[in-house]
Amino acid sequence: MARIPEADLLLAVMGAPHASDLVTSVLRIAEAVVGQGGRVQVWTCGYATMLTQASLGAAKPRNVVDWSRDYPSTAAVVRDLIAASAGALSWYSCRFCGEERGVTAHIPEVRVRPPFKFGEHVAAARKTLFTGVI
Amino acid sequence: MIETQGPWAGPGCARFLADAADLLAAGDRVCLFLLQDGVTAAVGTTLSEVDGLLAAGATVWVDRFSVDQRALTAAARPAGVELVDVDRVASALLDPDVRAVWH
Repeated sequence: MARIPEADLLLAVMGAPHASDLVTSVLRIAEAVVGQGGRVQVWTCGYATMLTQASLGAAKPRNVVDWSRDYPSTAAVVRDLIAASAGALSWYSCRFCGEERGVTAHIPEVRVRPPFKFGEHVAAARKTLFTGVI
Repeated sequence: MIETQGPWAGPGCARFLADAADLLAAGDRVCLFLLQDGVTAAVGTTLSEVDGLLAAGATVWVDRFSVDQRALTAAARPAGVELVDVDRVASALLDPDVRAVWH
């Protein structure tokens, strides 16, 4: 495991993605902070670990009332956000939470970390924001 | 202080805003950012705690995107509440003198 990069902001995503528009908020904040020159880490726990599982593929199932529109999967959105950040955005996922929910493989841009390493990420970040509750 | 739940989710929103009032009374500068369902605390029928914070000198921001997503753009907001984009929040989060709490 490479050294944890220092960050201006660690966004710990604890809440379930399907419960609210929490993930949208996290992505918006991460993008905005990176856009202002900040460095961001995102750590997902609980059901948020499923956002970046490889089996999601690049697109969501087709919308039957808008057949030709492309809806990117959350994994694709995260992948594109990481690619556009030029190294300013790192995405981590909790191994325990993921394995407990059947997430066996993430997209390559996401690093899987054991839960007891979370403290190292907090230490590497100037500011930590806990979002939601598992 | 970032409120995302709003008054319809239970008393947690009012309690969180009361915490903001306590910090303000203790001499801290407080900015309340209402996000997601949290915008309902200051759109339409305003939560009394929001009015109290405004009267006590807190800054109150409402997320423009969340308001638009909920078709509440035309709903009344109390004087002093500012519609902001997430860039303003990002700027505050990058300020080393700012501490952030999410509810």
